[in-house]
Amino acid sequence: MSPDEPQGLSRRSLLTSAGALGVGVLAAPVGLARARQAGDTGENAEAQQAADAAQPDAVDGYQSLSLDDAAIVEALVGHMWPADDLSPDGVALGIATFIDRQLAGAYGQGDRLYLSGPFRQGKPEHGYQLACTPEQYFKAGLRQVAEVSAQRYAAPPDRLTTDQLEELLHVISQAPPQPAAFALNTWFNELFYPLFVRGAFADPIYGGNRGKQAWRMIGYPGLPATYATDIVTWRGRRHPASDSPMSIQDFS
Amino acid sequence: MATRLPEKEIVVIGGGLTAGLVARKLVPAGREVLVLERGPDWSGSAVGELPHQRDELRWATYRGMTRRENVETYTLRHSPDEEALPMRQLLSFLPGFGVGGAAQHWNGQTWRFSESDYVLRQHLTERYGAKSIPDGMTIQDWGLTYRDLQPYYEEFEALFGIAGKAGNLRGVRQAGGNPFEPWRATEYPLPPLEMSEASQIFKDATGQLGYEAFPLPAANASQPYRNPDGMQLGQCQYCGHCERFTCEANAKATPASLLFPLVRSRPNFELRAGAEVIRLNTTADGTRLESVSYVDVATGQEFIQPGSLFVLCSYTLSNVRLLLLSKIGTPYDPVTRTGTVGKNYCYQVTSGLNMFFPDRYINPFMGAGALGFVIDDFNNDNFDHTGLGFHGGGYISATQTNGRPIDTRRLPPGTPRWGSAWKKANADWYLRSMGLSVHGSNYANARNYMDLDPDYKDQWGRPLLRITFDFDDNDALMCRYVNGKMEEIAAAAGAKIVGKASVRKSPYDTRQYQSTHNTGGTIMGSDPGSSVVSPHLQSWDVENLFISGASVFPQNSGYNPTGPVGALGLRLAEDLLSYLSGPRRLG
Repeated sequence: MSPDEPQGLSRRSLLTSAGALGVGVLAAPVGLARARQAGDTGENAEAQQAADAAQPDAVDGYQSLSLDDAAIVEALVGHMWPADDLSPDGVALGIATFIDRQLAGAYGQGDRLYLSGPFRQGKPEHGYQLACTPEQYFKAGLRQVAEVSAQRYAAPPDRLTTDQLEELLHVISQAPPQPAAFALNTWFNELFYPLFVRGAFADPIYGGNRGKQAWRMIGYPGLPATYATDIVTWRGRRHPASDSPMSIQDFS
Repeated sequence: MATRLPEKEIVVIGGGLTAGLVARKLVPAGREVLVLERGPDWSGSAVGELPHQRDELRWATYRGMTRRENVETYTLRHSPDEEALPMRQLLSFLPGFGVGGAAQHWNGQTWRFSESDYVLRQHLTERYGAKSIPDGMTIQDWGLTYRDLQPYYEEFEALFGIAGKAGNLRGVRQAGGNPFEPWRATEYPLPPLEMSEASQIFKDATGQLGYEAFPLPAANASQPYRNPDGMQLGQCQYCGHCERFTCEANAKATPASLLFPLVRSRPNFELRAGAEVIRLNTTADGTRLESVSYVDVATGQEFIQPGSLFVLCSYTLSNVRLLLLSKIGTPYDPVTRTGTVGKNYCYQVTSGLNMFFPDRYINPFMGAGALGFVIDDFNNDNFDHTGLGFHGGGYISATQTNGRPIDTRRLPPGTPRWGSAWKKANADWYLRSMGLSVHGSNYANARNYMDLDPDYKDQWGRPLLRITFDFDDNDALMCRYVNGKMEEIAAAAGAKIVGKASVRKSPYDTRQYQSTHNTGGTIMGSDPGSSVVSPHLQSWDVENLFISGASVFPQNSGYNPTGPVGALGLRLAEDLLSYLSGPRRLG
């Protein structure tokens, strides 16, 4: 058992594999689902099986994102958190799953947001002033991203080259490309980007930061964080826990 | 149809810090106390238990312990001629919610205000002349002095087990403590916390420049502690989950751990959670309160709770709003500068910068809410302001509160916002960076105030509180000056890369967390024409109403407000006993 495998793993994997039997079809990753739609896989049953087996457990599958939504989100987070020698890409890290769960859950439904009118356009410093929930706002933004991509490249974001994606992100993060109900740069900087960061660095129980890979990358030890003696012992030195972070799941 | 309940002797509105301090004194004295708190009782919930207490997303990013915006939020405009918009997400400050209030999720930084703070107008007039105070700077004196509060500071620090090092024992300078500290009668109850690498870097750099850094006074217990009431605190674990969290190790002093347990089992005490007070009901002639109306938030049912003495202990902004909704006192008018309720809303002027050390492990995840070294040389009037063109100042510190990875990853200026270079910068610098910060005063301005919003309402149909606020030239000049001193310290620290400190200035940005140190609106003073409560915190308008919390500060100091809020709360508890022995205007 590696340090990443919590002691409760066997019980958990039993539960998730049991769950996967029931929801196997829903559990297919969207990239694969889209490929199936497009008809460019399927002839090789063995490859199909291998692809399914590579899916770690039933946390895959989206609650809020449609196929088109998911294709854009996966393209963006895969580019923003690329695979390199530090970690696999953002989709494999679970960032898209995290975003999806947040949109479907209390945050995305505007659980605690003050949503009474009248609604007026304020200064940027007034913050969120829309009449919709974060989930609705998120999806409206995705549609605008798709439009910008179509106008500039005559292709959806998930069909762009790396250079085109990089350029697209600069366009949508820096200036509103066209008159809109809301500015796309605000959407990116104040909704999409924070969700992206949270998906990378939140505790893995929320679906992102899979395998605590982002924590390990930076050296955040996670839990339980009791350093009453360590604050002295490890002052100015690398703490050994930085190499083997622990998450809430590891203590559940 | 509201249900009228049997009378209680003392009705306390809000179940936070000062409610706990008042109940702690009055209940053992045999007085009947009812506390009405609209939020939940957090005890026994995931917020205070491992492993869930360490959930950054839930408690910090999504602010799980703090007031929900759809329960109460505020509208904001930057000047009286603008239209206000609601803060649909409360991000720049985090009012408390539930038993213990904001003192459940605080950091524990526990200061005494400067001796000049209580007599600010008089002090600045004497030192720099009346003309040095701009016409719009509506600072006032408190109507009491440090000498009046000193014993209560002492008591509060003993109750909350403050860890620190005295700098001034009865006028005798103490090595290692704050050279600018107002005099103390005793040493701090606990020795300072263990310092981190960042603190050491700060101490060395400030030492090179001739400043004397000292440990920030902390309500994070450096050792197990038993307070004078016999209540226990555990030892701080430096877990980096203080602010926005409550402490599962019981090492952070809070009302729920130290105050309410003392009285909860007493028959003459009752705490009703989920009870939102919506109105204070005066007698026909308006001179006394006879009851409060509250809603049971679980059922929506309205109740009338009569009492003989009322203590308003909710958050600063809710204290002000309840007075305005109940038509008690005269609302402040920024044009004529008459009226008092809502006057002198103040905030805090904060800034900071980041430093990067390729070969030093800072380990930011080992932290505590009030862990760090500080210099106080440029705070308040600790330095000569002649010719500077501003008043006030701030302390400069290297506090290491946390290394929670969603919010606290410092990156060098110019780092891309995504991609492999961004990932690499996170990997390179997370463990090897630290911050310096300025925590500065905010002096009253005639056009910064609070009133009721004409358009926006809460779930019960009551107007929201409207805040008219912006930083002014005094704030920006002060911030620029103290930032300059902070930048000199950063240069002396020998960091490979130093980020830039931005100057806090107009427009006030509600999207960015700055401080939960909102003050004013029910300010104290010795003149009923310019204050809402007397120096004994008794309403000038309604004799059996007392008001507690930072809403009574006439302006805000460069220090964190919990120390004086606690000291005033303890003094108030004694005043209430005195009042009960013979109801009258206390003088």
